[in-house]
Parts: sequence; C-alpha cells; structure tokens
Amino acid sequence: MLKNIKHFAGQSWLLIVASFVFGLLLAVTNAAWRPRIIQNEINKFNNLARALLTEATDFEIAAEAVEVDIGKGKKIRTDIKKGISDANECVGWAFVCEGSGFADKIKLVLTVDAGFEKLSGFGVLASNETPGFGDKIKNNYFRSQFVGAPATQLLLSKTGDDKKIDSEIVAITGATVSSEAVVKILNNYIRQIKISMQAEGLVNNDE
Amino acid sequence: MTSNDSANVSFGQTFAAGIWNENPVLRLLLGMCPTLAVTAAVKPALTMGLSVIFVLVCSNIVVSLMRNLLKPHLRILMFTLTISTFVTIADLFLKAFAPDMSETLGPYVPLIIVNCIIICRAEACASKNTLAVSIVDALGMGAGFTITLCVLAGIRELLATGKVFEIQVMPGAFVPWAAMGMPVGAFITLGLLLGAVNLITKKNS
Repeated sequence: MLKNIKHFAGQSWLLIVASFVFGLLLAVTNAAWRPRIIQNEINKFNNLARALLTEATDFEIAAEAVEVDIGKGKKIRTDIKKGISDANECVGWAFVCEGSGFADKIKLVLTVDAGFEKLSGFGVLASNETPGFGDKIKNNYFRSQFVGAPATQLLLSKTGDDKKIDSEIVAITGATVSSEAVVKILNNYIRQIKISMQAEGLVNNDE
Repeated sequence: MTSNDSANVSFGQTFAAGIWNENPVLRLLLGMCPTLAVTAAVKPALTMGLSVIFVLVCSNIVVSLMRNLLKPHLRILMFTLTISTFVTIADLFLKAFAPDMSETLGPYVPLIIVNCIIICRAEACASKNTLAVSIVDALGMGAGFTITLCVLAGIRELLATGKVFEIQVMPGAFVPWAAMGMPVGAFITLGLLLGAVNLITKKNS
C-alpha cells in the first residue's frame, strides 16, 4: 500500500503541484479582473435593454435577486430592472435570463412591456453557440419574431411564417437546438418572473 | 526546427524559421480552425495572433523550465494544463479590456487550447530546449502565425468591404465581393495563398 502511494506520488507530484499553482494563478487573475468584466456586462445589459425598450432612459432595480429555477434543481438569482422614461413613468421591465444552449450557457436580456403582457424583445448577452449556425440567435430575423409576442408560453415550430407576430416562433434552419434553447429559457423566465412580480405587486394579477 | 539545438542553431535562424521555412499555417498547415474562422477582418485576426503569441510564449517558458521533471507518459497532460491556464488568462483579459473583440472572437479564444501550433511547439521545441531557445521559437512561430492571419484577413477584408483595418482603401466605384467575408472566401484565399507559397518555394529551390 505504502509502495503504491509512493509510486503514485513520485509519478504525479509535478502534475499536482502545477495544478495548485495554475489554479492559484487563475484565481488571482479572476479576482483582479472580475469587477471589470461584471461592469462590462452591466454596460452591455443597459445598452441592450435601452435598444429594446426605446422609451426607457434609465433602469433601476425593482426586485433584487429573484430566484428562478432553471431545471435539474439549479436555481439562479436575477435582478428585475424597471425601465423609466423621461416623464418618470414605467415603460417596461428588463432582466437577465440564462440556461443551457447547444454548446454552452446562453445569457439573454429579456424586456417586456409595463403590464407584462407583451415582449419587447430579447438581446444576447453571452453565447458560445456554433458559429454560422447557433449564433444566428443574435440575428435580427430571429429576434424580431419576439418583438410584440405575447408574454405567455411561446411555441417553437420548424415551419411557419416568421413575419407573423404571435406565440409561435419559427426555428432557425440548421440551429433547431439553439432556437429551442432560447424559447425554453424565455418560457421558463417569463412564467417564473411573472409570478414573482405579481407576488410583489409590481404587475397586475390577471389570474 | 523540430529539435532545436541551441549550440548550433542561432536565435535568428530559430526566429526566422517560424516566419517562413516552418510557418505554422503556410508550411506546417497547423491552426487551420482560427485561420479560416477569424480572418474576415484584420482586427480580430490580429487579436487572435497576439493571443496565440502570449499563450505560446508563456507555455513554452513553463514547459522548458520543467522539461527535466516531466514524466514521458504525463507530458501531454502537463502541456494541456499549462496551455489551458494561459488561454483562460488571455480570455479573461479580452473580456475585461476588449469586450467587443472578445465577443467578436467568441469561442475561438477558448479554442486556442486545442490549437495544434501550441502543443506542437511544447512537444517539439520547449520540452527539449533551453529557455532562451524556447522563447525565441515561440516568438517566431507566433509572429509567423500572426503575419499569415493578418495577410489573409487583409485580402479578405479588402475584397469583401473595400476597407483594411476598417479604413476605406478601395475607390467608391469598387463593388464589394461579399463572398470573401464568408467561409467560402476564407477557403479560396487560403488555397491561393498556399499555392503562391508553394510556387515561391519551388522557384527558390
């Protein structure tokens, strides 16, 4: 037994030491640059949300760290931000949604109108979907189907009229999994965020 | 220069080998994935090239320093661990200081981990040579890779948009050749470039 441990240690000590050293190096680098990366993400969120909620001139947090179940027992917290117009009126809501895509995690910004009845659209905050296929979720022709769509369960179909604005979303040819992932993420967040906002009295309870 | 001997190969020759004789893209045909994917414009190509130089130099330094401690059957594992650390640092750097470029390059920055050029130099050069030779080799190979990417991207960007480095070069009457900005343009340009390099090599020999 002792001989085996000695043999193992003799063979792998460099690997173990290197793993610790590299892990420490990455931890230090991450700690140093993380605040800047987060600030970049906040700026990107604000820019995307402003482009979707054109009347909003500012965003303020309306509900902090709302818990959303993204499946497999995993829960994520997201802030719900209120879009405020020049006249200091609420013109809509914006929040970050995330879930699994084809290649990696997909992070989206979803905006809805003030009554949480219609979607104002979504923007892609982070995605590593396959270039040329899955990354087409960033393209306008796919995203435009969500502008004005009802803030209820969305359905994905492989064929149909992508110009028609309703709850039916036409998938991107060659990127069904990524299209499906976007619809699934949005459905999940729309349902759960709506319930949370109704519970907090931010939107009317229509049920 | 697969097994550089620092005693009889000068630093200049080692560096120059990466630029021409053993150019990773045009002569060794390594790193084809980023070569084809990020050369639609010069800016992302240059960023990719600089990221590869950073990873190549750092991984060659680490591999060279621990070359006498490496167990032969664990060496690839050690190379991968080393390379992935520096690629993650490069990725974090771009996300922090060049977020737009990071987004443009997308998954191709993390994919540097599987770039054959880096593991090839770790195996063929850094694990057998001194620190100085390994650094010069990394700089030469990295420069060769970056120059090739920029040349390829320059041709494609010029023909696809009439611009180079986002600066208008072609006259107003120029009709942009959109296909050059697409994957087909990458394959055609690389093929022609490889043909030209082979022709020059044959003439010289």
